[in-house]
Amino acid sequence: DSHIQYERVGADVTMKCGSMDWDAAVTWTANGTDIDESHLNGSYLILKNVDLSQSGQYSCYEGSSWHLKYQTYLKVGIPPKEPVLMCRSNNYPKGFYCSWHLPTPTYIPNFFNISVIHGTKDMVCEKDATPKNRCHIRYLQLFSTVKYKVTLTVTNALGKNFTTLTFDEFAIVKPDPPESVVAKPVPNNPRRLEVSWQNPSSWPDPESFPLKFFLRYRPLILDQWQHVELSDGTSHTITDAYAGKEYIIQVAAKDNDIGTWSDWSVAVHATPWTEEPKHLTTEAQITETTSASTSSFMAPPTTKICDKGAVVGSGAMAVCWTAGLVVAAYSILFI
Amino acid sequence: MAAADSPSAALRRDLCSRGIRLAGKMRADVVDLLDAYVEQQGLDASASVEAVEGVPLAAVERWDEQTGTQRLLENLAAYRAFRALLAQMLEEQREQLGEADAGLGRALAAVLLQVSAFAYHLEELLRLESRGTPDEEEDGPPPPPRLSLFEQKLRGLGVLRELAQWAVRSVRDLRQLAKPSPATGAAPSLAESP
Repeated sequence: DSHIQYERVGADVTMKCGSMDWDAAVTWTANGTDIDESHLNGSYLILKNVDLSQSGQYSCYEGSSWHLKYQTYLKVGIPPKEPVLMCRSNNYPKGFYCSWHLPTPTYIPNFFNISVIHGTKDMVCEKDATPKNRCHIRYLQLFSTVKYKVTLTVTNALGKNFTTLTFDEFAIVKPDPPESVVAKPVPNNPRRLEVSWQNPSSWPDPESFPLKFFLRYRPLILDQWQHVELSDGTSHTITDAYAGKEYIIQVAAKDNDIGTWSDWSVAVHATPWTEEPKHLTTEAQITETTSASTSSFMAPPTTKICDKGAVVGSGAMAVCWTAGLVVAAYSILFI
Repeated sequence: MAAADSPSAALRRDLCSRGIRLAGKMRADVVDLLDAYVEQQGLDASASVEAVEGVPLAAVERWDEQTGTQRLLENLAAYRAFRALLAQMLEEQREQLGEADAGLGRALAAVLLQVSAFAYHLEELLRLESRGTPDEEEDGPPPPPRLSLFEQKLRGLGVLRELAQWAVRSVRDLRQLAKPSPATGAAPSLAESP
């Protein structure tokens, strides 16, 4: 006969060798390894103050024949502590979900049972396929002042525990963070950054249940955040950025009327536009230069080549003298 | 290209927007009043209050399936009821405390004014749709049985809590009403709008 035996950490465990008499000659093994006779009291195996490492398969063999007389799987564990339960509506007004976990492991299997009551009505919390410690409920009513009461009971072979949450419909509304946050410099504006984002995809009806947003930003070199609250729209232009400094930007969302703010979105980084000489800047600009040129000299686009008064010659051959110098410089390079 | 809004559609959308702002302000003031009421009446903010007779419940099933007319009519009935309930609370307040708690009385009166204004606003919306407004009962509901002081306080708590819920629901209802119709780009008629 083989079965499972659950014992608490620190307990004293006595195992009988099946129907063998107390004074029978037996050998006990743990996970295939013989157990010293000092742990035996007659044919009984005595394990004092068991710990987690003593979990395993215990077998008892008749002394002379080495017939297996008894086998058990010992699982050492602890009773469950009060579970941690959280309920939240990130898809209002469709419904809400509850998720849970144990604050410390029990080392043995646990079973969870959740009940949800709204007033006097029992509601069904449908278990999610993944993660396993989560279930969701559809709202049957909206705008109710009657509270929801959720009780989670956890049971294992060594004991049980439970926790209860009571809340109203509005209090648990918390959207997921905004998605696809993008921050870009604004050309020719050294103090601006254009930020855009999207509603979280889990929010089912942003038109009827609009979200408002909170944007925070700071240069990487400083700790202090700037904050902006935005009651509509999914974009914002920062106009007071420090020129040339890299910024970190995040956005959070909240239902316009109820509930709490989401967590912050994934952070994005951006640096405002700066006016720099092309030879000091980007790869894109390097690949734009002619392949034959080895000179890094390139006049910036805003640089004027000619003043009207500096033109030499006339008609089709009119060139200004600065342009003439540039041409001369190139000519020398290719000689 | 979407058809241009008709004047009545534009007016309805404007009325809805103003109604949303009214309801939002009303809710904020009701929440502040609720806090003050709980404190000054010596109540427990988390106390459960049984549904009180005569207090319109904001809770609704299949809210998303309601027509525009249903939304307006239910809102109007609710705010007319709240108007009477708040007037009664104000009367009781004055009897109980006289001038001792003028601040609470003033706050109650201010919310009562907003509730009246909002009810009128709803009537305008219904008139816009040529629906006409249902007549208010001439004599109103029969007077409730005389309650003890504690029962009055609990009922007041229930009234304000439910009013706060209604204010949120009204914002949502008006947003639904203000939605343009997908076919024409104009606001849908109340009979068909969700």
